[in-house]
Amino acid sequence: MCQWCDKYAEGYSRWYFNPANYARKLYKIRKDEGPEIQPDPIVPGGMSLVTRDFIEALDRKDHEAIAKKRHDIEQLAWRVHFGQVVTLEDTLKVIDFIYPIALMTCACRRSMLGLPDKENFTCMGMGPGMYKWERWPETYRGGIQFLTPDEAKDAVTKMNERGLVQTLFTFGTPYLGGICNCDYPDCSAIRTTIDHGVQFLWKGHHVAKVDNDLCSGCASCIHRCQFKALSFSATQEKAYIDQFQCFGCGLCATECPQEAISLVERSSLPALANVW
Amino acid sequence: MLPTITVDDKKCPDPLNCRKCLQICPTHVLGMGTRVGPRKFKEIDNDQFLVAGVRFEKCSGCMDCVKACPHNAIQVTL
Repeated sequence: MCQWCDKYAEGYSRWYFNPANYARKLYKIRKDEGPEIQPDPIVPGGMSLVTRDFIEALDRKDHEAIAKKRHDIEQLAWRVHFGQVVTLEDTLKVIDFIYPIALMTCACRRSMLGLPDKENFTCMGMGPGMYKWERWPETYRGGIQFLTPDEAKDAVTKMNERGLVQTLFTFGTPYLGGICNCDYPDCSAIRTTIDHGVQFLWKGHHVAKVDNDLCSGCASCIHRCQFKALSFSATQEKAYIDQFQCFGCGLCATECPQEAISLVERSSLPALANVW
Repeated sequence: MLPTITVDDKKCPDPLNCRKCLQICPTHVLGMGTRVGPRKFKEIDNDQFLVAGVRFEKCSGCMDCVKACPHNAIQVTL
């Protein structure tokens, strides 16, 4: 069971289908800040909680220090700002009941690549926070562009075709305020989760599965995985998915010309049901 | 082995418009932030942006960023 669904779905099939988690009353309500760690305001790269001392602890394999810091960082992130992978299909459903939606620049890609604003409109904000975007000039440096629901669906569909993963982010959990369109190595959340083992990004509600009878071995899916879960088996000449590493985004499945990759519900696989 | 990466901000006047080091790094070790954090109600001037090492564990020591910097602002030691 997804612990966020357990706490916040309130009868809906997923926590992010519950309209209450986008409601104005949650906007800017911050939960108890928890562990006494403070983000470093000048650490660039959207990774202000994963500082040099954590990377040094990883480097010297100081498992006790790593575990403590990881715990503190995750507890704070889960209270304030973390994400979960969602399929394109689920993202389109969310867009159906959320208003307003606006396109804005991606803070991760600006800090990772210095990407100019005009090339960087890959992030989407939603809900009442969008009416106050002027308050956060650094975050919304390039300005924002309000979208109709159809325009928003078109935008995420095109970004999905480009190979970007859809993720939903909280801003004061459980308030959901962002649809990000992410890729490795320039998404801070993917980077921190995959490279540092700090879970800013939760896996989604599905797991991808290859049907070897249908897979032609064309390898056209291989470049789509942003989570190092997909490789090509030289022995079998088939796509190979590490299901324990799979985040369930579905990008590989949509690229497959043979429809050999399907998404199965995470909860249907006993050993994966609690792998997030 | 983790590198020490220092960027002399005085020699790096406008990283937002230069970004040569960010774009050349093969493993995207460097990051660009601001010295003031995300401040409310106020535009952040370009000269408040800065570059620093962030993802140190992925630095191979290739020195491409050192060579790419037009102002000799970056030092990497391993």
